[in-house]
Amino acid sequence: MRESTASPLTKRKSSKRWTIHLFPIPALIIYGMFVLYPILAALSYSFFEWRGMARGDFIGFRNFVTLFTTEPYGSMFWNAFKHNILYFVVQMVVMNGLAFFLAFIIYQKIKGAEFFKAAFFLPRLLSVIVVGFLWKLILNPNFGTLNVLLERLGLETLQKAWLGDPGTALIAIILVNCWFGLGFGVLIFLAGFQGIPGELIEAAKLDGAKGFTLLRTIYLPLMVPSIMIMGILTFIQSFEAFELVYAMQGSMGEPYYSTDTLAVFFYRLAFGSSTASGTTAIGLGSALATVLFLFILICTTVFLRFANKKDVQM
Amino acid sequence: MKQGAIWVRPFYYLVVFTVATISLYPILLMILSSFKKSVDIYKDPLGFPTSFSLDTYRTLLSKIPFTTYFMNSIFVSIVSVVLIVVVCSLASFYIARFKFSWNHALFFIFLLGMMIPIKLGIVPLFILMRDLGLINSLWSLILMNTATGIPLSMLILTGFFKTMPYELEEAARIDGAGNLRVLWHVVLPLMRPALGTVVIINFIAAWNDFFFPLIFITEKMKRTIPVGMMSLFGEHSADWGSLFAGLTLASLPMILLFFIASKQFMEGLTAGAIK
Amino acid sequence: MKQKSKWLWLFLLIFVVALVGCTSNEKTTVSTTPDKEEGEKTEEISLTIGSWRTEDVAKYEKVIALFNEQHPDIHISFNPTKNTEYNTVLNTALQAGEGPDIFHLRPYAAGLKLAEAGYVEKINGLNGLSTFPEEALLASRDKEGNQYGVPINLSSTQFFYNKKIFKDNNLGVPTTWDEFIALNDQLLEKGITPIAMGTKEGWLLSLLHGIVGPAIYEGNDFYQAVLAGDKDFTDAKFIDSIQIMNDLKKYFPANSEGLGMDDIRTLFALEDAAMFPLGSWEIPVVLEMNPDLDLGYFPIPSKEGQKTVTTWVDGSFAINANSKNKEAAKVFLEFLTTKEFGELFVKEFSMISAIPGITSDDTLLNDISKSTANEATPYMWVTNFTGGDPTTKSLLESELQGMYLGQVTVEEVAAKVQENAKTWYTPFQK
Repeated sequence: MRESTASPLTKRKSSKRWTIHLFPIPALIIYGMFVLYPILAALSYSFFEWRGMARGDFIGFRNFVTLFTTEPYGSMFWNAFKHNILYFVVQMVVMNGLAFFLAFIIYQKIKGAEFFKAAFFLPRLLSVIVVGFLWKLILNPNFGTLNVLLERLGLETLQKAWLGDPGTALIAIILVNCWFGLGFGVLIFLAGFQGIPGELIEAAKLDGAKGFTLLRTIYLPLMVPSIMIMGILTFIQSFEAFELVYAMQGSMGEPYYSTDTLAVFFYRLAFGSSTASGTTAIGLGSALATVLFLFILICTTVFLRFANKKDVQM
Repeated sequence: MKQGAIWVRPFYYLVVFTVATISLYPILLMILSSFKKSVDIYKDPLGFPTSFSLDTYRTLLSKIPFTTYFMNSIFVSIVSVVLIVVVCSLASFYIARFKFSWNHALFFIFLLGMMIPIKLGIVPLFILMRDLGLINSLWSLILMNTATGIPLSMLILTGFFKTMPYELEEAARIDGAGNLRVLWHVVLPLMRPALGTVVIINFIAAWNDFFFPLIFITEKMKRTIPVGMMSLFGEHSADWGSLFAGLTLASLPMILLFFIASKQFMEGLTAGAIK
Repeated sequence: MKQKSKWLWLFLLIFVVALVGCTSNEKTTVSTTPDKEEGEKTEEISLTIGSWRTEDVAKYEKVIALFNEQHPDIHISFNPTKNTEYNTVLNTALQAGEGPDIFHLRPYAAGLKLAEAGYVEKINGLNGLSTFPEEALLASRDKEGNQYGVPINLSSTQFFYNKKIFKDNNLGVPTTWDEFIALNDQLLEKGITPIAMGTKEGWLLSLLHGIVGPAIYEGNDFYQAVLAGDKDFTDAKFIDSIQIMNDLKKYFPANSEGLGMDDIRTLFALEDAAMFPLGSWEIPVVLEMNPDLDLGYFPIPSKEGQKTVTTWVDGSFAINANSKNKEAAKVFLEFLTTKEFGELFVKEFSMISAIPGITSDDTLLNDISKSTANEATPYMWVTNFTGGDPTTKSLLESELQGMYLGQVTVEEVAAKVQENAKTWYTPFQK
């Protein structure tokens, strides 16, 4: 069906209207000045030697070499990288999966749909600092709601120092992030569901499609754009995960680097640890940011290519 | 679906109720705790406050110019959102509805901003803002919010622009409408769900931004709510009741605004389906 | 629907215009007020102070008021940033050639990094510097002997204890290390948490080692040997001190791996734990939480009964090398060396002044202050080991955390700390 609508858009007309080329200019100017320029300027830092905050000589790729070959940086990098992957997988499955399902339920026109939409979205309104603080309290081993609740349910054996135990700290933070981001996913997926022309569903229903078949043959293919958006966003956010970890576990990814992520590692290098005695390694920090950037860039490109191809096939 | 119909609906309700409870509980906890005494929070974290007293709020509000912070936040957030919506609708319309050879590259350039921590560029940004004379100006925050909001907004808007049928647009063009008119009268009204999302997301981001105000704003009266509230935290690190009151004050305006405005957004969201 | 969206836009636009109106009004009123003042007084200089002490705004206002009694022409505003973000905010501004005129300098290596980069004004020969003892000035003096900051307060870490709990259980202040351990065991037997401490936040661990360590490796002798490079962290006594850290865990509260600063303070303040190994700055905070708490402290005794409290200079005030009002800033810094300031500081801040001989009405603080004069050992991790990347101090913190979680052995902690220190600490390199 894409074939029929995707007729090339009136090239004849648009070529006459050169003013159309003014459309992206305002966005480009603001974005170029306040995002692209400072980032590019800062990326160039990775090729210089830094002594504290003073820039030294151009040293080519030596910062990159140091980052991967010198301890403790090398093992810190891979440790954080693994955590980012877990971040992505859990968010994709738990947050996006649940968000898709919830959006589907709301789309079925249940009673109180407005209330539920608002309720799911409400956490997203809070500042991450507030979120971190609240959940730190809820997960507090001695006064926290979760452990108190477990105790009242007679499940004392399950009580834990959730954020202090390296076995649970990271997953707890990822789940808090899911709690935080769920409503946004619901919103995106719901907008996707609601963007599906009603006639298509009616036609399919007349053809006898129902339940799972309907979901698979009609909804899922038409939801690809929303799924794609959420996929890319979740990927990028997972690999840039910073604020919640920083708010809940500090810039060292405590306990014992068990919640460290690449962006936290970057912050630690570029700005020093948040305790009094921080030293900075701006060159290494910039090198790490460059690597992170290239990684996300390559993955997103591959993903977009893949998605575009699929798009055409349908 | 028919055989399942008996249990499917209750199951749906069970799911949404459970998730809604988990979503709302921490926020409720925050508001309830703000009325409690610190000792009670520790001794009985789940209990309801024994008495509702507004004293904590009164002392907090007497310590900071809350109205000023609130107006600063409102100003910064609204102007940022308006700018984002305007520049991004224009740019994403261009990218999604026309097939120029460079559009793919352009789209990609816009997405780059999401892939790198903007904090990295803080020193060049600071120098830029100083040269523009925007240190201690709310416009530095507006420009930053707009610039950092562009990638995500472009992604959402372009994605939805692409899914829209072309027929309506064609019809308008045959009637002789120019690009701006097509965008304003034909495309944007159909885009309300996506625009709603962009507005909400960027408003929240602008409202809650903590990093840039911290760096660019040193004058007390130019602070926005999150930074203004955070400055209280040091003073009350041991007084949890006050801390929760502070957190509530920092979050409440956003929650109230959401409820006032959400009718508009939610209407927008359902509008697409009714069509 | 089109109509509706138009109205929404219009509403937004009006709102924005109104707000722009409001803010520009504000601007004009702001700009007129200084004019008026200028009319009344000639040459008013404004200085800004940057600091991480957000909790001290009201107190610094009193300091400024006192300063203005002598220098009414210098107008000062105290603009602190949240502790955890202070470095980022200050460094960014300094790198761009901006920043407050006067700023709170982190002690020792961290602050000297800023000086090394040329952001801090030298204040060699500033009037009043001679009031301070050598050790206090060292916190902001570089290798060449240039002075950059005026030290403000000493911090000391020691064991606080709940006098009531001690009395109720017939316990006394320990005079030897063995007594200290026996005391802990007795408390444990009675079902009282002996030590309020948690291992979730790394900085608490280096702090605890700073208190307990000197009792194990015999305080200042070991420190001097480390300074000279005669002993290092492979020394058996140092390894013992790490082992002791591990052994103390059984006296910590339940779930100690998940407890942070706020939690342990609360435990102690609410009298759920008997002892609280922390810094002098906690006294007012704990007493604010529980004004009825009968608070005492003791220096930690070694096996032979030698007592130590661990001290360092916590912050100094320095002048921004890019400040346009350096002379006025120097006048303020000179004021910070005076007795009047020292007395006000002790009274208002409940901290130990870096100026010697200043006493306060608070007996607890006075006693601690005396201890810092007589029983002091430097907080080595802050005073000497904040170099390296990551710093030796933060490495120690992470590794101790790993040890408490059972992921690193005692010997490995010492070995890793030594390995890190060796990369930059010159006495270890010979």
